[in-house]
Amino acid sequence: MIGRTMVGLGTALALAALSGCGLVTSTNRSVFFIFDVSGTYVKAVPDAAKLANITIADLQPGDWVGASQISACSFSEKEIILQRQLPTTPSLAASAKRDLFEAFNAYAAQVKTAKFTDIRGALAQAAFDLKQRPEAARYIVLFSDMVADYGKSCDTSRIDLDLAGVHVIAANVIKTNPGDPEKYFAMLKEWEAQVVAAGGTWSLVSSPDQLPKLVNGV
Amino acid sequence: MDQTLEQAAGSPSAADGGSFFGIPYGWPLVVAIIAVILVMWMAREPLRRVIWQMFFITGRVFGRWGLWLTEHGRNARANCNEKIAAFRADELQDRMLVLEDRMGRRAEKLAKETGPVIARLDKSTHQLATAASELTDINLEDAAERAFRAALPSMESGRGLNKLEKNIAQSTARAMNDRLVPVRPALQIIKAEAPRVRELAEKLNKTQNEFNQSVDEVNKTFGEFEMIMRSEDRSKIAARASIVIPWLIAVIITAIALSGVFLNFFLIERPMAEIVGEGARIAGIGLPTFAAIIVIFLEFVAGVVLMDAAGFTRLIPAFHAMSDGSRKIMFWVAFAFLALFSVLEMTLSIVREQIIEQQQETRDLANRALIAPSLAPAATPDAAAPADAAATEATPADDGLALSTVAQLILAGIIPWLLAAAALPLETIVRNSVFMLSIVGSFLMLMTAFICKTLSVAFKNIGLFALTVYDAIIFAPLWVERRLKGTARNRRSGGGDASGEPDDTLVLDRKSANQPQKEPKRDRDREKSREPELQKA
Repeated sequence: MIGRTMVGLGTALALAALSGCGLVTSTNRSVFFIFDVSGTYVKAVPDAAKLANITIADLQPGDWVGASQISACSFSEKEIILQRQLPTTPSLAASAKRDLFEAFNAYAAQVKTAKFTDIRGALAQAAFDLKQRPEAARYIVLFSDMVADYGKSCDTSRIDLDLAGVHVIAANVIKTNPGDPEKYFAMLKEWEAQVVAAGGTWSLVSSPDQLPKLVNGV
Repeated sequence: MDQTLEQAAGSPSAADGGSFFGIPYGWPLVVAIIAVILVMWMAREPLRRVIWQMFFITGRVFGRWGLWLTEHGRNARANCNEKIAAFRADELQDRMLVLEDRMGRRAEKLAKETGPVIARLDKSTHQLATAASELTDINLEDAAERAFRAALPSMESGRGLNKLEKNIAQSTARAMNDRLVPVRPALQIIKAEAPRVRELAEKLNKTQNEFNQSVDEVNKTFGEFEMIMRSEDRSKIAARASIVIPWLIAVIITAIALSGVFLNFFLIERPMAEIVGEGARIAGIGLPTFAAIIVIFLEFVAGVVLMDAAGFTRLIPAFHAMSDGSRKIMFWVAFAFLALFSVLEMTLSIVREQIIEQQQETRDLANRALIAPSLAPAATPDAAAPADAAATEATPADDGLALSTVAQLILAGIIPWLLAAAALPLETIVRNSVFMLSIVGSFLMLMTAFICKTLSVAFKNIGLFALTVYDAIIFAPLWVERRLKGTARNRRSGGGDASGEPDDTLVLDRKSANQPQKEPKRDRDREKSREPELQKA
């Protein structure tokens, strides 16, 4: 234990010294999951939680994970489900990942539906949280049908988004109207344009194995 | 007239628009050429000096560089030869010391070994001598005669011839037997001692041969050492010492050791994350990777210190000045460090296995939940518990895993010591690389010197050629000048000998023709420097 502490102390000192020279950089990333709990998507939340779990399983020690839900008024701390940084050592990180699985599964089991779908507010909340993080690589993983529905009391459709340096990934985007594919594609294009206009980058994930690859690069 | 000039010049007319450096072909060009020739004639002295300086001075500079490089290249080679010879002498000196030490220890043992042998040999020799004297004391003729005489009274009393013969034979046999009874032990001794003496003699012979062999080896080494110390031909001495082959062997061994380093690296890289953490990069290298590299370097350094302290290598100069006690301390310190590194690596190999298992289980947990039809039962740890319970039963895969862990443990325990052994060829690589670089450097200098000298000669000859061409161009005005000066001189001297004229512009080496031939300055200097040597001789 003492030896480990000494090694850790030595490493910390060495890192501090090297940071001064600009030689030390971070490879950690911060990932923010957003679950849509509006009426049309709430049934897909358990599947979305599974996708989130397999993404977390491949995260590196030291990475940060946050999660919130899209409700009637999403730009709020109340909608945040969890925020946690994985420990930097692999064994503790594995344990923390299991805790996150449990948390997401528990959330998916007791999720309640929302009347409206404030996607922009959720994006703004996620972007705000990510901006506070020191990690260089920032991801927002959006589990939604991407159909926005703003309430009168909380209309964020015209707010300015700042997604500079954030990679927005839309995953498990279900088709609400299978009879109108054009509308679906047009909607996705519109969201992509909005994200790019806000300074972010956009990706659409259709299969489960793509999401961990896109986030973790594995 | 213009047309004639143009035809004479063999060039197209000015009306055609042709020109040479802006001068129209035809008579303007001819006039320009004549003007240029005249200018060249008038400016012949400075221009010739310029050409001379351009080519001859450049050539001389190259020549001096060539000389400088030749001298330094030879010096570098001589220094390198001297170093190689000195190293070879050191090697032989060490070898002699080792042989001397071995012979000293052998000599100490020799007294213990040969003492009993000689005592036994002495005893055996004494016994043999006693037996031999007893044997020589036996007089068989006398014994036979006595036996016959002893038999005579019975012969007289006897009646038959047969009885007589029988009596004689019995008496003789008894007498002989009586005489041989005391000799039998001596014969037994001879029988027993003779092979032993032979064996002891062989043993002594073998010891002598071994000793002679060692002496021959020492003599040979000393002879070579003496030759190295006294020989004037250092290049010959250096050529006797092989540099490239030991270097190649050392490189191959080090390459094999480096492959072990890679193996070691992959073994400890992942578990190092458990100690130093993950997520940071130092100069583009992940922190666990960086830490693993540092650990390997530390192991290697401990190995180098161990080998140097043990006296196998001489990489660290400080160890030469140390006392034997200090070196022993350093040896045990390095040994302890290597043992600790070995234990550390063994621990890390176990941690590595645990990390891999944990990561795999975490992934499996997430993937199982994805594949399962319902989320809750499959994904929760409670649901995973029965599966874990089932997995606790020993399976062939588990056995394989345990075996692989044991293999990793063994590998992790061995590799630090193998890394220490890699320090052995390192000395040869470092030393011979220096020798090889010195030799290559000296050859490069000599080659550059050759190129410089060639350039020097080329520049000088180009200069001579340029001067000749210059003279050829201004030949016509020179010839006219000579004619005019010759006429004037004839008028002044009244038709005297023209050979004494100092201003004959067509004669390039006129001074040398009138002055006595002198030796070149360099040769004169050399002759002067030789004078004392000649006087000494």
